[in-house]
Amino acid sequence: MPTPTEHILADLQARGLLPPAQAAALASYEHQRPFSLHYELRALLYLGVTLLSGGLGVLVYQNIDQLGHGVIVAGIGILTVVCLGYAARHRPAFTWGQAPSPGLLPEYLLLLGCLLFLALEGYLQAQYQLFGTRYGLAAALPTVLFFGIAYGFDHRGVLSLAITALASWVGVSAAPLAAFTQYDFAAAALSIPAAGLGLGLLAVGLWSDVTRHKAHFAFTYISLGGNLALFALTASLFSAYSLPHAVALPLLLAVCASLVWYARRSQSYLFLLMGAVFGYIGVTYLLYEVLGTEIGFLVGTLYFPASAIGVVMLLINMKRLLNITPKP
Amino acid sequence: MSFKAYPTTWALHEAVRAAATRWHRRQLLTDAQQVAIEAAYPLDFFRPGWLLRLVLFIFTGIGCATATGFLLMATDTLDSQFSIATGSIICAIGSLATLELTIKNTKPYHAGYDNALLYAALLALLFLGAEALQLLVGTPDLGDITDPPMRPLLLFAGALLAAATVRYADRGVAAAGFATGLLLLANLVLPYALGRALLPFLLMLAAAGTGWLVRHLARRPDYFYYRTCLQTVKALALATFYLGGNYLVVREGNAAIGHLPVAPQIPFAPLFYAFTACIPLAYIYYGLRRHDRLVLVAGLLAAAFSVFTLRYYRTLLPPAVAATLAGALLLAAAAAALRYLRTPRHGLTEAPGDEAAPLFNLESLAVAQYNAPGPAPAAGFSFGGGDSGGGGATGQF
Repeated sequence: MPTPTEHILADLQARGLLPPAQAAALASYEHQRPFSLHYELRALLYLGVTLLSGGLGVLVYQNIDQLGHGVIVAGIGILTVVCLGYAARHRPAFTWGQAPSPGLLPEYLLLLGCLLFLALEGYLQAQYQLFGTRYGLAAALPTVLFFGIAYGFDHRGVLSLAITALASWVGVSAAPLAAFTQYDFAAAALSIPAAGLGLGLLAVGLWSDVTRHKAHFAFTYISLGGNLALFALTASLFSAYSLPHAVALPLLLAVCASLVWYARRSQSYLFLLMGAVFGYIGVTYLLYEVLGTEIGFLVGTLYFPASAIGVVMLLINMKRLLNITPKP
Repeated sequence: MSFKAYPTTWALHEAVRAAATRWHRRQLLTDAQQVAIEAAYPLDFFRPGWLLRLVLFIFTGIGCATATGFLLMATDTLDSQFSIATGSIICAIGSLATLELTIKNTKPYHAGYDNALLYAALLALLFLGAEALQLLVGTPDLGDITDPPMRPLLLFAGALLAAATVRYADRGVAAAGFATGLLLLANLVLPYALGRALLPFLLMLAAAGTGWLVRHLARRPDYFYYRTCLQTVKALALATFYLGGNYLVVREGNAAIGHLPVAPQIPFAPLFYAFTACIPLAYIYYGLRRHDRLVLVAGLLAAAFSVFTLRYYRTLLPPAVAATLAGALLLAAAAAALRYLRTPRHGLTEAPGDEAAPLFNLESLAVAQYNAPGPAPAAGFSFGGGDSGGGGATGQF
């Protein structure tokens, strides 16, 4: 029986799309082409680096008495300066548009330098209490530095770091996963600053896209800010000690509407999805707030199947909603 | 009238286009040929990117679950058994009819919502079958796999899942069918002392038989239609074969089956040492020789689990020293292999293959956490028509 490749080649030949000589050449190419170990070897390489650095880190930690903190601080400091210095030498000229990439190495060294800076700061704080109890200052320092670097070097990765640092300054963590794992829905007091920060980031993102000030940063701002605002507002809908519901619900629906607007503008289905899912939660909540739980239960038996079908239909027809034309 | 739910041309067109794109990238096809092939093999089905598939799956699941609740309320009578039976019959028929109609009308091809409808129908049918069998053979104890009344239930489930796999070629259903087969095997042999002793070998035998069957089926002309199912079952069979012979699994499993407080040494221990050590190496060797990525990756994962097995019983070095040494060794070996394979040798190369993307792009996962340097979704990216949908935080970088 034929192999899959032979099957494909036979089908192509039967439709007259492939001359026999070329089909034979393709068959022999398929037979002889080397087996790529590209990703497997790189995965092993990364695993080796992780094991080695982890093991060395623990060894250093265990033998800290012999080494002394000064050596470690100096080591991290020198590495930070080297990374940032190398990146600075390859810095592209500033522009409000997208700067040309200086290459893979400077970009990654810049990111590494920023991460090392955070490690250095954390080390100094843990060992020497450099900032004492002024944690705000400790968070504000990397925030200012990273925003400066992100705009100066035109680096989206550092921008994400800067936003995360800003969020930690405000008192929450803004990484999308952290919203699921670390966000404590009981800590309702945090949801007001979180919602404020999210709305602010969303506004900055929309501003930079509309006015073309670093428009390629908009995705980072809107995805982080949108996630944060949506989670915080939804959380305050289900909590009695936070924003009043009369404020949170319209805000939630407004955020969803602006995300859908932006999704149509940028043809991004991620933002349409975020807007649709959280909008669904908001509308469902509104329905129950208006109807009350008793009538709501009766209506719900029909509402949930019907609305789920509605959402599915919406998503299936999304291509048309986003005005995406098929590639020519 | 075909017994397959989706047109077989969809799978064939997808495979031909993937192959043609590969060949075109290597300039083995001219641009004109590529255009002609794309015109001759249209992708006229709907399968969005994985994120949208997941959301569609969840919302269809919500719809099915709440509709079932509504139905049970509506058919609620005094005779609860009758009401449950009626409810599950209506659910099964309803979701199957919806599934068939949506396939006809909106042309989904494993697009999330058709998977959800299929699972809903199968759950209702399983429930109905369990209710009927309960009347015939008595209530099975679901906590005890060796309970005899479980046998007809498992047989029914296996037959149902196999039939559904043949029609819908869903990989989740295929995997569940394979698992049901293994459970049935355990149910048949575990009541006997000899069966308990031979269970690891029987599991390995069953996995090897499944592997042989998969190889045989892969030669059929409708291979493309069942490709994802066959790959899934093959991966499970590889895992079962290895874990069935793994010393740690056998020793701890033996203790768990016998309800022993500590896991004692097992009979034939040297044989299982040999299995634990040799099967990963054999997988890796076979994967490299026969250019089979699935077997190779299974071998690498199995090797990692074998190392874990060794360290579970014998601590050779303190963890930090072991990690440092192993990391250094691994780093050196991988770097050496990268250098050695820069020019292709023995049919192997370190250059990226002409397949599009790897199974799991670890870098993109790590980067997604910070939305780092990846490009924002470009305007006009395609997500319909079977192309993997980019965009979003975890698209292709």
